[in-house]
Formats: sequence, C-alpha cells, structure tokens
Amino acid sequence: MGKFDYVISIGGAAGQGIATPGNILARLFARQGIHMYAYNAYQSIIRGGHSFLTVRCSNEQVRTHGDVIDLLICLNQDTMDRHLEHMRDGTAVIYNSNTINPGEPADGVQLCPMDVKELAGKGANKLMQNTVAIAVACQLIGVEFSALEDVIDFQFSGKSEELVAENVRIAKGAYDHSAATFQPASQQMPTGGEALAVWTGNQAFAMAAAGAGVKFYCAYPMSPSTGILHWMAANARELGIMVRQVEDEISVICMTIGAAHAGCRSMCATSGGGFALMTEGIGEAGMMEIPIVVVDVQRAGPSTGVPTKTEQGDLWQALGASQGDFPKLILAPSSPLDGFQTIPDVFNLTDKYQLPAIILSDLLISDETSTIDPKLLDMHPIIDRGELITEAGEEAGSYERYKFTESGISPRALPGIPGYEHVVASDEHMPSGILISDEFTHPHKRRAMMEKRQQKMTGLLAELPPPVIMGAPDAEVTLVGWGSTADVIQESIEQLAAEGVVANHLHFKWMVPFHSDEATELLSSCKRTIIIENNYTGLFHRYLRGETGFTVDGHIRKYDGEPFKPKHITAAVQDQLAGGDAISVPYEEIIV
Amino acid sequence: MSIKLNVIDLPKDDYTGGKSTLCPGCGHDQISTVIINSAWENGLKPEMVAKMSGIGCSSKTPAYFLSKSHGFNTVHGRMPSVTTGAAMGNRDLTFIAVSGDGDSASIGIGQFIHAVRRNLDMVYVLENNGVYGLTKGQYSATAVKGSKKKKGDINKHQPIDLCKLAVNLGCTFVARSFSGSKKQLTALMKAAMSHKGFALIDVISPCVTFNNNDESLRSYTYVKDNDLELHAYDYIPTYTPIEGIEIPEGEFHDITLFDGSVLRLETIGSDHDPTDAVAAMAALHQAEIDNKHVTGLLYFDSNKSTAIEDQCLVDTPLADVPDEVMRPSAASLEILNTRFRGKD
Ligand SMILES: Cc1ncc(C[n+]2csc(CCOP(=O)(O)OP(=O)(O)O)c2C)c(N)n1
Ligand code: SF4
Ligand SMILES: [Mg+2]
Repeated sequence: MGKFDYVISIGGAAGQGIATPGNILARLFARQGIHMYAYNAYQSIIRGGHSFLTVRCSNEQVRTHGDVIDLLICLNQDTMDRHLEHMRDGTAVIYNSNTINPGEPADGVQLCPMDVKELAGKGANKLMQNTVAIAVACQLIGVEFSALEDVIDFQFSGKSEELVAENVRIAKGAYDHSAATFQPASQQMPTGGEALAVWTGNQAFAMAAAGAGVKFYCAYPMSPSTGILHWMAANARELGIMVRQVEDEISVICMTIGAAHAGCRSMCATSGGGFALMTEGIGEAGMMEIPIVVVDVQRAGPSTGVPTKTEQGDLWQALGASQGDFPKLILAPSSPLDGFQTIPDVFNLTDKYQLPAIILSDLLISDETSTIDPKLLDMHPIIDRGELITEAGEEAGSYERYKFTESGISPRALPGIPGYEHVVASDEHMPSGILISDEFTHPHKRRAMMEKRQQKMTGLLAELPPPVIMGAPDAEVTLVGWGSTADVIQESIEQLAAEGVVANHLHFKWMVPFHSDEATELLSSCKRTIIIENNYTGLFHRYLRGETGFTVDGHIRKYDGEPFKPKHITAAVQDQLAGGDAISVPYEEIIV
Repeated sequence: MSIKLNVIDLPKDDYTGGKSTLCPGCGHDQISTVIINSAWENGLKPEMVAKMSGIGCSSKTPAYFLSKSHGFNTVHGRMPSVTTGAAMGNRDLTFIAVSGDGDSASIGIGQFIHAVRRNLDMVYVLENNGVYGLTKGQYSATAVKGSKKKKGDINKHQPIDLCKLAVNLGCTFVARSFSGSKKQLTALMKAAMSHKGFALIDVISPCVTFNNNDESLRSYTYVKDNDLELHAYDYIPTYTPIEGIEIPEGEFHDITLFDGSVLRLETIGSDHDPTDAVAAMAALHQAEIDNKHVTGLLYFDSNKSTAIEDQCLVDTPLADVPDEVMRPSAASLEILNTRFRGKD
C-alpha cells in the first residue's frame, strides 16, 4: 500500500461542538497507529463565529496541516458556503441535509447528504449530527465500525450509559447508510500500526517542565498559553507541583522569582500582552541571578491583537525584555517534540548559569493537536541544578552570594542555610550582595559586576549546539527559518524536490546567546538564501543581520494570522527563483 | 404608528448596538439592554458618550449598545487609567464603562482603586460572574468561597468584594444589582448616569456557560432565590418620564441626584440609610456570612469633589483648547531662556 495522506476538515460555529468530532478522530487515528496533525482555525468567541478544524492523517509522520482538503464535514451552512469551492475532483462533502443546502460542487466532488433527523430519531439533539458525520467519515475511509465504537465509548465515558448507547446506535445507522449509499473515499486508511499518543504543544511543554522537576508554576490565563496552566492544574496534585492561578502577570513573574529564589525550579507562561507586563521582573531575575523559565506563547499582536491567531511577532520583545544590558537565554523550539526535548536542557542551563530563560512558543505550536510516539518521550531527563549550595560548608560565615569567579558563576546558596545569609537585590551590588547604590556608585565595582554577569554568556554559548544545514549540501537555495516554521519548511523542501528544485534548510532555535561566527560561515557558503517568517518586517532577519552582517536574498512572510501551508512556501520559492519579487507574501485561501 | 422619542427627540434605535456574539442567556446581554434603555430614557447625547471597557466577554459588550457613541476597548485591566486620561483630555464626555470581575478585581485592581479614590466622574458597570468567561471559565477573584463552577473544584479562597472596597475608598455611589432584576438595575443605572462622581454598579451577571450550575452561588437560580433587596427603586427624571411613575403606597425616601433627578427609595423590610458607610459595610458583611447577595444602593455621597474638579481644570475640555492658548508664548520662552543664561 502506498502512502496514506488524507485531510479531513470540520467547520461549524463555536459552541456546535466541533472539538468533539475532532477529539474522536484524533483518538481513533492514534489508536490505529495513524499519525495525525490537527490545526484549528478559530475565533475568540464562546459561541457562534466560524471554527475550522483541519485534521491531516497519514501512515507516516505528519507535521503540518497540509495544502488541501479531501473530506469536508459541514456542521452549518456557513461552512458549506465558505469551503465548497476548495473541494476538487475525488473529494467528498458530508452535511446534514435537514438544515444545510449544498452549493454547486466542482466535478467529481461526492456530496454525502445525511438525514440526521431520520437517523437520530426522536429526541435528537443538535450534537447528534456530529456523531453522524464522524460515522460517515469513518466509513468512507474504511475504518472498522468496532474501532469507532471503542472511541465513542471512551469519548462519552463519564456521561450516562444511555448517552453512549444512543450515540453508538446513531453512528451505526449512519455508518450502514453510508456503506450502502456512497462511494468509498479516494484513500483508505491502513490498519495495524502501533498505538500512538495525542498531545498539544502546550501539554508537551508542561509535561517537559514536570519531567525537568518544576515545583512551582503560576499563571494568569491568556490564550494561547492557557493550555499549560490547565495541564499543570489537572496534574498538580499527582505530580506534587504547586500550581497557582494569580491576579495578573506582574504577580506571576514576581511569584515565580520568589519561588525560584527559595530553591524551586519555577516556570510561568503567558502570551505577548502578559509577557509585556512581566518584563520588569525578567530584569529583576537577571540582576539577582535567579533561574526562571518564562514561556511566551506568541499570538498575533500588537496589544490584545488576535487572541486566536498565530504570529512570530515577539522576538524583539523577548530580546529587549526589561531595561538594562544583562544576560538571558532565549530560544524558539520548532515543535511540541522539540520543545519537550529541549526544556529540560533549558532548566539545567538556567540553573547552571543563574539567569532567566525565555522560550518563544506560538499559537501554532501550542494549540495544534498531533500524535506522538510515546517511546520518544523521556520523562526522566538529567537534572543538573548547577552550583547550588543546599547545606552549610566551609564558607559558612564568609559566603559571598555574588563572588567573582572565572566562569562568572557564583555558587548560589538557598536561603535558610546558617552562615550563608545574604541579600539579593534589584539594585546593583558587590560580591557580598551589599548594594553599591547605598554606599557609592563605584565605577570599578560596577564594571566588575557587569563583567562577572556577562562572563556567564561565554560558557553558556559554548554549551549550545551551533546551527547546521539540513539536507543537500550543495543546494540551489537554502531556506532559513526559526521556531515554529521548521516543519512546514521541511515539507516544502520535499515538494520542491518533486519539482526538481534542490533546496536545503538552515533553522535557528537558540536566539540568545547566538552562534554568530558559525552562522556567518554557513550563510556565506549558501548559493542563495530565502528566509521564512510569520511576521511583517522580518524580525528574525533583522536580528540575524545584526549578528552576522549577512543579508539574505529573499523573504517569504505571512502576517494574516494563519500559519504557512507548504504550498505557500513552495510557490514563493519557485517564483523567486524565476526572478520574482524578493519579498513574497502568500495568499491565504481559507477564510476563517 | 408614531415612533417614541426621548427628551432630546431621539428614537431608541439611536441607542442600540450590534448583534451580540455572547452565549445566549449570558447575563451581560441583559445588562446591555438596561444600558440602552437607561441612556435613551435619560436622553444622553450619544455623540458625547464614551464607552470604555477592558478585555473579557463583559468588555466586549460596548459593541452591543450605543453604536452611535464612541468606544474604547483598552488592554486587559487598564480601562480605569485610560478613562482617567480621557477625562482629563475631555471633561465634557460622559463615560460609561463596562468591566468584568477579572478585569477589575484581578489584573486591574490597582487601576480600579485609584479611579475610585480620585472620584473620577464615570459610570462603572462591573459585570460580575465570578469567572473569567472569555478564557473559558477559570475562577476570578470575586468567586464566592464555597461556590463551585461547572468544571473544577470548589473555590476555597476569600473573594474580593468590590462594593466593600469601594465603600472603604469613599466611592460616592456604590450599588449592587443582578442582571435578572431589570427594574432595579434600570433605576440604579439611570441614577448612576445622573450622578456626579464615580458610580459603581456591581451587577451579578451569571455566566451561563461556565458558572450557572446548581453548586454555583452565582447561578441565576441561586442569586434570584438569595437576593436581599435593600429598597425598591424608582427613578424620577427632571423631565416628564416616558413611562409614568407610580406613587408608592408605603414609606419612601428621596435622594436628589446631581442633575436634579430623584432616586426614590421605597422601604421594604428593614430600612437602609445609603449615606451611612458603616451600615453599607454591615449589610455587605452580613450578606456574605449568610451566603446572600444584598442588592440596591449601598452607599451614596453627593458632597465630594470629582477628579476633574480637584485638578482645577479649565472649563473648556483640554482637547478643545486652541494651540495658541496651550503653547507657551514667545515671551514666556524668552524669560526661560534668560533664566538659563543666568541673567534673571
Ligand atoms: C495581559 C493579559 N493577560 C491575560 C489576558 C487574557 N484574558 C482575556 S479576558 C480575561 C479575563 C476576563 O474575565 P472577566 O473580566 O471576568 O470577564 P468575563 O469574560 O468573565 O466577562 C483574560 C484573563 C489578556 N487579554 N491580557
Ligand atoms: S462564556 Fe460566560 S460570560 Fe462569556 S459570553 Fe458565555 S455566558 Fe457570557
Ligand atoms: Mg468575569
């Protein structure tokens, strides 16, 4: 059997329960060992509006929501009206014929009207059409009914038995009707794979933090970061993590610093607006040399912006977070799995170098639901807390919190150890912790303390892996990206290869400190470079140019709130190679 | 059929807004209706009204009323400060603000407190549901202890009562109401619009999606069954009212508002004196102990100066003062210059 790669989209209004069919499908695929990636385009509204969930599944790893729709499920007329035009030959459309009028489909599009009233019988509620639609979808792509039944059972477990039975009965009716009436879908789902797990990026980040030994987490809810809080809260008791929802992000960052100072690994997460409120605190952690991890799940800004849309817009906010010139660690993981695998290192590095770390996630990474092979998840990473003094030793009585050392790292004594009493302050200080602003602002002391802190960056940089070019060494064009665009760039490179264009990939995760020399060398070795960013002004490019002096040849930028599709990048690269404009802004065809 | 017009000859249509996108049954929508009716009946000039809000389901509602007025959706929690600035810039505007309990009691409590303390002249409608509706129903700082929302554990934390806080801060108009008590809320809303100074109406406004279950002390049913009304109210405008006012049968007491209109307090049960701050605190305190919601005009003070008066601002809104007046004259610059040169 060839590659199975099939995309199902479900559209409806918020409150119509599009999440349930989404979850059922996700679980169903995962149990059959089918890889899945779901992207939900939605709005900041509790009911109404238009939500559009795209679930792509394959027998191979899938990491983007793809370019096309193979099966459209319409939960309301609006979905039909908006998306029928995207359906091409060989695709199918499922809808409730009691409430939805089909439009004029393109040739070869199979319409699958379902008489939900008839199937559900008396007492049908609005959500029954979801069950009907899922059953038909499963039948069309060749899922055994028993597999669907299992998942329905699971999905409604905790609800009444009658409800489960009712849904199974309706599903069966719809499934049989579909088998008798409709053509099978263009692709049939293979079976027999080993079961996979399902997660979102927010869950991945939260789990990684738990694995890395986080003891304190607090937040003020802000989309799209709230998933981290929810996972933490749901698992707090079992994992022994102190999880607090507090009154605003200023308190969040301050509590995080307090807990970290007391000795707990501490993390907090927010989105751009909340991060803006945290920035003074980030400088505080920098000055006091307290290890904290802050996640900024970027959404389209500025200001309240578009709470449910994605953007890579906060890079310079992270770079400039807080006044003063002080060391911090900034990184942008490329996927849930990359985040999961990197976060333990981030905790180790912040502990070792005693500085704040900022992890730039974004809505795309955080919200997407995808399958993951549980075997890839190590919940017991190495924990290295660096030079941490937890009990009294020789230095008792003469301990200096900010002692000058070659590495710039001063062993950190936790409060409460006899003989290690010390002061930490947001004012500049001497090695002993005594404020120099209280005595006199001695320029030599200030200089020495600045150099001590910044010295830590040398050691830190040496621990970060330098960037590498992935793919063909002699490519015609190198696609440069950072953060969440890695997977879509990879898929576009495959598409380009199929079109005879050899492209390779240079991707950046570690932003600060930055491997400038290595990056310059790599970039200079490329024949042609095109940088891809989910923002307007090429924020990363400007940073890259600052660090390397290198100017790329072309740009592909998107700032409409929706993530790139592979075909957007492929088409823009081809256009630029053919002499088109050096800045491409792909057109988004799915209007949500 | 003739269209009913208000005292400034405008139809009610001039006060309505866009279609709500909130959940059907959300308390916030009922409050919007009351704002529309009150603004219309009181004859507010739509073009002179500034609708202020923060972020939240509640803060979205200015889109659903007074579409001919100005709107300002600030960032989360900062609306009181933005309003303070706007009031300094144009003292002639009428500020009608809507906020949520998350917006005002959590992230924006510092802003809220200072606006109250300055006695900023504004109507401050707090749409209080005990949860953060827009971010999907987490407890807010006003959630009642022992209450349980639809999902999650019982709330164990002491709530912040913004009415208590406001009384303490010397707020000049402090009322609590319920989105389901249309008559009471309308009278209080109109009175708040006629008040000079900070008028807080803390409206319990059930969130039907996340906090309207049986175990919630903020559900429609619970609030309705446990509503202790301080008085029955009638608002008597300075002009002939659109709906007639009945003379109450029992005892009553009138409060004259800044614009000359009257709020009539009809005695039901034990009488509450709204000029007595200690009585207001006692009523709130007792209600909290009894898990009740005390509604009505808790505290009123017509003697305090407002933020604008305290600033001694000129009568003309600063925004309207011409540049020639605002700009330092050539002569005054010359004086400064001379001083710098040390030749004063
Ligand atoms: C700085 C910042 N942090 C978090 C958010 C996310 N957020 C939006 S609305 C809201 C809470 C709204 O609650 P409330 O004010 O009670 O309004 P309701 O939706 O309940 O009416 C939060 C936390 C934000 N917009 N800005
Ligand atoms: S979530 Fe709650 S507060 Fe928000 S619109 Fe719905 S009912 Fe109202
Ligand atoms: Mg609320």
